[in-house]
This record gives sequence, structure tokens and C-alpha cells, in this order.
Amino acid sequence: MSRTFWLASYPKSGNTWFRMLLNALALKDGESFDINALRRRDGIASGRAPFDHLTLVESGLLTFEEADRLRPAFYRAQAHENWDEDEDDDSLSGVRFVKVHDAYTRLPDGEPLLGGREAAEGAIVIVRDPRDLAASVANHNGVSIDRAIGQIGNAKAALASGTKQQDLQLRHSLLDWSSHVASWLDQPDLPVHWMRYEDMRRDPVRHFAEALAFAGLTLPEAELARAVATADFDALRSQEAEKGFVEAAGKTNPRPFFRRGRAGGWRDELSAEQVARIEAKHADMMRRLGYEPVGGNEAGESS
Amino acid sequence: MFSYRVAGLSVASEIELPGALVVAEPEAPDARVRRAATPDSVEGATTEGPNWSLAGDRFLLRIPDVARFLIIGGVEILVDPAPGVDIADVAIFVAGTALGILLHQRGRIVMHASGVRVGKKAVLFCGPSGAGKSTLAAALTQRGYPVVTDDFCVVAADGAPIVHPDGRQLKLWARSIDELALAEQRAGAVRARLEKFYVEPPASRPEPMPLGAIYGLREARPGLTDGIERPNVVDAAKLLRRNAYRPLLVHRLGQKSDYFLAAAKMANAAGIFWLTRPLDFAFLPGGLDALEAHWREIGLLG
Repeated sequence: MSRTFWLASYPKSGNTWFRMLLNALALKDGESFDINALRRRDGIASGRAPFDHLTLVESGLLTFEEADRLRPAFYRAQAHENWDEDEDDDSLSGVRFVKVHDAYTRLPDGEPLLGGREAAEGAIVIVRDPRDLAASVANHNGVSIDRAIGQIGNAKAALASGTKQQDLQLRHSLLDWSSHVASWLDQPDLPVHWMRYEDMRRDPVRHFAEALAFAGLTLPEAELARAVATADFDALRSQEAEKGFVEAAGKTNPRPFFRRGRAGGWRDELSAEQVARIEAKHADMMRRLGYEPVGGNEAGESS
Repeated sequence: MFSYRVAGLSVASEIELPGALVVAEPEAPDARVRRAATPDSVEGATTEGPNWSLAGDRFLLRIPDVARFLIIGGVEILVDPAPGVDIADVAIFVAGTALGILLHQRGRIVMHASGVRVGKKAVLFCGPSGAGKSTLAAALTQRGYPVVTDDFCVVAADGAPIVHPDGRQLKLWARSIDELALAEQRAGAVRARLEKFYVEPPASRPEPMPLGAIYGLREARPGLTDGIERPNVVDAAKLLRRNAYRPLLVHRLGQKSDYFLAAAKMANAAGIFWLTRPLDFAFLPGGLDALEAHWREIGLLG
């Protein structure tokens, strides 16, 4: 039976890149790397299909709150069940990495939404400088940077929360960015390995290796280096430009998912006033993660 | 007492089931629905899920804060709403999930499908919840094809495959109702707090009829272009089993070979296809044209 680890992050923080690396690592001889052929078991925790399959109940007929009541038991069951018996076991050496954008929250009765220790052995948490995040979220959602700053500062932010049609995913609460990160780092149920996206960009082999080691996987450095070269950011971007990407937002006119991937791009994408607004809201968590606020007065002067 | 015909069964129910086909009260119904207290668990469960247990012929399904359902031997459903829950808000789970489980208990081939009548045959559209089954059926009724089934149906494949539909109304989200301009046909909400509604189709034929074709619905995406294709027999069997009403039960109740045999018969007698298209209202008219062209090609339309 495979072991489960959450791959947790606020959206647009490098989660998909990490999953691309996992898939590059899992390529068998003769298989070519395809950004649109991510293995199913690397799916997202909020996907409806596996929930409906295991609970026998259509989540689309439940209110968000009713669905949430079933989610802890669902995740615990899913950790023990290959939900699609027609699929090969796609775990990497017996480990399932499951993407999750939900904040780590609890139901009113105190039960962890994600099912606690019986649903996963640990969490790899990827964080990213919220100033870069703002530009990336703006591009992904097709909104202004100001709106993106509003979203990452919104304590009630949630994805897939529309009520006029059925989203492919269950509603997932993000909270604001600082609270999202804190919810994962400070939860008492699971061991956490957290990593900065910026460090992954700078030295991917080392930080990828550390994350995998946390999940109990030790791989030869040459293999890791090969995966890193295969799922290199330029490769992802050029595949997307050529063929499109399944997970890009904007159905008929997709916006590039793999955009710049840069660390520190905020310096030329955000105004000083925008930087100041993000820092005013998130300075404590930024400092905790090693993102030094530029702070101060110049923001007010230039706006 | 209410009397319905659902997927080939006569059902006597203490609970009103909106959308189901009302029939005269039968002398001996195939299945009964009663409101009754149910246990929190069943003794001697042989197979279990996160919210359900199966012990012999007793199947207990729990939806916290909504209701518990005890489905017995393919003949009886006991419904136990959670405290403070209106029975009307539970009916959709009786008409769907619970009856579907009962049909699985009876060993029937139960498909998660909508369908319309083309010529004298039923054309089914299979897919998981959210794949666009009901919207596609609704759009086809606007081109004059009567609705046969909305959410599930039984396909009896003893001889030539016959489709037994689930009811006579569609269930559509507010967005689909808007996009298809069906506001005038809109009836009550499927559940009090959801913007999903029963919709009275312009025409419906909820009667048993021969199977014409089955299409598995897939969303077009990079690497999967739109169009209609015929899978090989192994993939057709997989398509059918994955689109069983509750595929996990096919697996847990050991019915895989039944579905394989049924798939072979259906592929032979009718045809099993993939229908891949963008999940976007803008592409609907073109998609319907392509379907009608395919029906002429396979002889369903003259």
C-alpha cells in the first residue's frame, strides 16, 4: 500500500512545477515528457470525481458544508484505496504526492478537514514571496495586480465557490496568504517540510532531494538532475506555447500558466505602493519565511 | 403512497420523488421506499467505504447532516432524515443514489447517463457528475429529440439491449438554464439550498426502448482533440464499467464480468463511442451538428 504526502501550497507557488519534477522522475525508458500527461494519482485533493466515486454520493448535490462534513473520512479512505482500479499504481516508489490548495482547516467539531494523520503521513509545503505571487495570481486569474493583492489578503478567499454551476472541484478555502501558510506550518497533526519556491529555482536538485528525503525517498543525484533538466522551466513554457496546458485558466483563450517563473520579478512588475500594501498585510509571515520586507516610507511617496 | 416507474422497476414510496415517472399503483411493487429509523452501523460488514457499509443484503449509506439510508436486498429503502431536515430535501438522494444502489444490488447494468430518443432508439450520454450529460440532453430536446432519461438508466442486455429510463424531468444548474433559455420550463429546486432545478423538457419518452448508441463524454483538452471515435472492445468495456452508476460497487460486488459481457453485446448491437468536445456552451451547436451527422452515418437517422 502506498503512503500519502500532501503537496500543499497557496496557488501559484510552484506546486505544479514540483509535480512536473515528480513526473519527470517517474518517466520510464522510452517515455517522453509531456506536461499534459500528469499522472492521475498526482491529482488535487479537492477534485470531485474521486470523492463521488468513494462516497457513492454526488458531491454536486451537497452544499459546500455538507461535502466538507464527509471530506475527512473520504481522505482517510482514499489513503487506503486505489480509487480507479483500471489505473496503474502511479505512486513514486510507493509514495503518493497529492496536491492541495486548501488551507489546513478544521470542521466546527474540531476534526481536520483533510483527515489528519490517518489520511497522510506528512506535508511538503511550498511557499513563495507574496510580492511575486501577486503578479502570478493576477496573470492566472486574468485580473489586475491590485485585485490579486486583494485576493491574497482576503481572509475569506476560496476557490471553486460558485453556485450557478458545478465546478470540477469542491470548494476549497484559501484564507489570506499569511493565514494559509500559518495553517500548514502550525497545525499539530502532521510533520511538515517547508521549502521556498525561490530556493527551488536557485538550486532545484538539492531542494527537490531534501523534499523527497522527507517523504523517505532517496534517489541518486544523477536521476534528480535529469528530472530537473527534463522539467526545466523553459521546457514547460515551450511545451505550453506549442500544445497548450490542461491546467491553464481561461478556457477558450487560455492565459499562459508557465509565465516567467522568476524569483524577484516583483521589483519590475509591482509599484512601490503595491509592494507596501502586501508588506503591510503580510510582513510577519514574510519575515518568518525569510522574505525581507523593503518596508517603509518610499512606498507612500511614490504612490 | 406514491407510485413510480424507475429504471424498469415499479416503486411504491411514502416519499414524493419529483422528476420520477408517476404510474398507477401496482399490486405488487418491485421496491418500496419507507421513512423509518435506521441504525448508525450494520453488524458484520464485509465491505465498507468512508460513509457506507455492506453486510450481506443490507447496505447502509450515511450522509452526515442529511440522512441515512438502509437499502435492503434490492427491494426496500429505509430513509432516515437527520434531525431538522425536511424530507423533501432528501428525496433526490432516494431517487438517485439509493435507488441506484438498489439496482446494483439487483445485479442490473446501471449506467450513469442521460439520453434522448433518436428515431425509435435511445442514445445515451455517459459521464461522471459534471460532464454535461443533462445539458447535452436538454440542448437536443430543443432540436426535437425527446428526453428518455436524465441521470441513470438500466440497460437490459439479455437479448437486444433495452434501455429503462429513470424519469421524465431533467435536472439542470442555473447556468445551463440561462444559457439554453429554459427559464420557462424550470420547476422546483432539486434541493432547497442548491441552484439546480428540475426542468420540464418540451418532449419526453420515458419508456423502455432499444439502445441506439452510447457515447462516453470527455472534455477536449491539449492532447485530446474533439470528435467521435469508436474504442476497441477492451476500452469499450472499460468505458461502460467506469460509467456504471456507481463503478465502485461494480468492483466491490464482483460484477465486472457482467459489465464486460454487456459491453460486448452493446458494442455489437448498438455501438459504444467516445464523444470528445470542449465543455463550453459556445461549442454546443457545432457539437450537436456533429452528433446528428454521426447518427446519419450509423443509421439512426434516415
